Amino acid sequence: MTVQLRLERRLEQRWWHAALTPVLAVLAAFAVGAVFLAVEGFNPITVYRALFEASFTSTFGITDSLAIATPLVVTGLAAGVAFRMNLFNIGAEGQLYAGAIAGSWAGFALGPSLPGPLAIAAVLVASVLGGVLWALPMAVFKARFGTSEIITSLMLTFVALYLMRYLIFGSRSYWRDPAVTNFPQGKKIDPSAELPLFGSYRTGWGLVIVIAVAVAVWVLIRFTRPGYDMNVVGSSPAAAAYAGISALRVTLFALLLSGGLGGLAGGVEVASRAHALDPNGLELGLGFTGIVVAALARYNPFGIIAVAVFLGGLRNAGVALQSLPGDRVPVEVSLMLQGAILLFAIGAEIFVRNRLRVVRSAAVAT
Amino acid sequence: MVTDSGGRDQREQGIALAARRVTKRFPGVVANEDVDFELAEGEVHTLLGENGAGKSTLAAMLCGLYQPDEGEILRRGRPVRLRSPREGLAQGIGMVHQHFRLVDRFTVAENVVLGDPNQARILRRGEIEARVAAISEQFGLPIDPRARISDLTVGQRQRVEIVKVLYRGADVLLLDEPTAVLTPQEAEALFSTVRAMTAIGKSVVFISHKLGEVMAISDRVTVLRAGRVTGEVATRDSSASHLAELMVGRPVEMETRRGNTTGAPALEAHGVRLVDGDQVALGGIDLTVAAGEVLGIAGVAGNGQRELAQVLAGMTTPTAGTVRIGGDDVTGRGVTAARRAGLAFVPEDRLGTGLVPGLSLTDNLLLTRKRSFFVDRRRARAEMAEAIDSFEIKTPGTEAQARVLSGGNAQKVLLARELAGLGTDGGPSVVIVSSPTRGLDIAAAEFVRGLLHDARLRGGAVIIVSEDLDEVRSLSDRIAVLYRGSVALVGAADELTVAEIGQAMAGVAPEPQEVP
Repeated sequence: MTVQLRLERRLEQRWWHAALTPVLAVLAAFAVGAVFLAVEGFNPITVYRALFEASFTSTFGITDSLAIATPLVVTGLAAGVAFRMNLFNIGAEGQLYAGAIAGSWAGFALGPSLPGPLAIAAVLVASVLGGVLWALPMAVFKARFGTSEIITSLMLTFVALYLMRYLIFGSRSYWRDPAVTNFPQGKKIDPSAELPLFGSYRTGWGLVIVIAVAVAVWVLIRFTRPGYDMNVVGSSPAAAAYAGISALRVTLFALLLSGGLGGLAGGVEVASRAHALDPNGLELGLGFTGIVVAALARYNPFGIIAVAVFLGGLRNAGVALQSLPGDRVPVEVSLMLQGAILLFAIGAEIFVRNRLRVVRSAAVAT
Repeated sequence: MVTDSGGRDQREQGIALAARRVTKRFPGVVANEDVDFELAEGEVHTLLGENGAGKSTLAAMLCGLYQPDEGEILRRGRPVRLRSPREGLAQGIGMVHQHFRLVDRFTVAENVVLGDPNQARILRRGEIEARVAAISEQFGLPIDPRARISDLTVGQRQRVEIVKVLYRGADVLLLDEPTAVLTPQEAEALFSTVRAMTAIGKSVVFISHKLGEVMAISDRVTVLRAGRVTGEVATRDSSASHLAELMVGRPVEMETRRGNTTGAPALEAHGVRLVDGDQVALGGIDLTVAAGEVLGIAGVAGNGQRELAQVLAGMTTPTAGTVRIGGDDVTGRGVTAARRAGLAFVPEDRLGTGLVPGLSLTDNLLLTRKRSFFVDRRRARAEMAEAIDSFEIKTPGTEAQARVLSGGNAQKVLLARELAGLGTDGGPSVVIVSSPTRGLDIAAAEFVRGLLHDARLRGGAVIIVSEDLDEVRSLSDRIAVLYRGSVALVGAADELTVAEIGQAMAGVAPEPQEVP
């Protein structure tokens, strides 16, 4: 008698397979995290409860979580629109920096001469253009020559990072605030270009805007020809060629859309939180976290909103954990959990497409 | 038919390989159910059945590629458990697959010893080459041991595969649809090889669905239908029509249908050349198809059919020459221009090229439709629902993914999409269909042929590209034979004999119409 575990392709994928996977991935990640916490001498249950309470039980906790979730929604969309076509733009981080550079410029250069809503629009549009521009080399080389977008987008992220640092730390550039002399800072955008917050909370109209963008992306993918073409090219390039859909144009479009969304995340950060090109404040890895958001949401725009809120809370809690009584739980716990969630989410994908079957068979003598 | 087991015991000496009540299941299908099979020493035993009847699955179990879920495999009367093709080879059982498993950049000799567990770590080339030469001599498999696979024709590659299993000492050979890729002349040479092998006591399992060659080469035939054995007969006691009945469950005949060739030319190709590097894929092709006519493009696979279809469909820009559809020059103007001029195209690769596996049937219906910014699924859904009814497409519904469709249903969806509006204003006037019935069961194939005939009667100009000569002959008004990228023969279907077409397919036509 031998017992084998065998993977078999599912003939039908039901919706709850797709929904259950991320949930199980999160639970598994927390289980793994619990082991590490226990080894470090913490009671995992206490830590997890504190984590949940910090992010999701008080009004301030929730709104702080939403404030972090806001840029994550857009970086999640940036990764999602590309990844669902098997185009792995992992450079939303760099596109976000580029968007922040362009957006902050619009904020202090154009902001003063524009009325409020237009000034805000100028920041957001500029940031989208910044992201598109930053994604352009990646998109062109991928679409035209098949150059790996993973490499180019990652490399361009470092270029953007150092460009941003140069603008503030390394030079007396147009972005640097000349009035501040002790520690270099970015020039403040005009108050008219700031996205209003809700009362004294840290979240505001930025959240409304990113949700609107998520809905727009959903409409684009679900109901329009460009979205349809993206589905075809992503699913079957041969069918695209057969139908006369230019894979080159669609690939360019998808990667630039992805880059634009990454840039928009930078604009939203500048307009609603940083109010300047702030190289420290942007080093949160919001772009990279967007990849986790998109993967966990299985590239669904509404799923991306939900996951962004969840991961926003996790990140928010990472800070709150510092203030736990007794030994301080390292802030890295939340980052570790985030990484583990991604690993499990990707690993679980195989169970959405396949099912595990236990096979018992009688051994045959030879 | 189950052989009675009392008789088997007495003959066990003479039984090289047998399967006893084997069952093999794959998710959603039972590929083999309670199958019995027996191969005598020195015998050619054919596994006959339609595509999907379970022939290849049974062969895969016999050679160790798959393991049966139930039942057992017996080698010379003793149960064996073959966990891999290598273990099969160790037992002297070797399979020649339909899709060759050769390394293009290696030589014949290198491929022959590739993966041979008995091979020394350092290749003794001289020795190997001498043995390869001796085997090819003995069995009539002319092949140069030092030739690179990439330089060989398909027929030569098949010989390498056969030499490979003989070199490993196999005395049971399983040949999976070996003639599918061969010209009639090459097939004849293969049969001589098979006879040479059985003459010295080797046994051959021959897998085929072509009745003529089955009658010609085999001693016995086991017929499979839907995974079950429907009969086991000695060839001398049987006939092709009897086998066909066992195969499909009822007598079949392919009806000869003709249209009319006097309509106005709907598609004209002049001097179409396609050169890729120093490879001449198409060497100057002239073709005309009239409205209401079916032109059949025959030929052995890989002689330019695929390239020709792609050029005519606007997917590939030819190096030289022109393509006109309904009088419009669409050469190199792309798929959309060709479709606007009246073209419809059903590619040979249905799921993956013709249909997007990951999209719903409704979305697939929209694939080749006119484009507007917002996707109008409501109309498409209604049209698809209607097609599901009238074409009897088996699917969970209009929103099911195309990937769950069987071959026949995928082809019906494709034809529903491509033939819609044929002959009406704004609808297509020229239909190109590649391999219209490949992989389809008899009923679906007949349905498809009926649709194509109907398309012609509605005034469409139809081009069918098919390797199935019977099908080409039954449907076409005119036939063009492609050989090495050129039209080797063209003429009215009723005036060409099978022998003439076969010769043209093999490249021995006395006067090719175009020289590359």
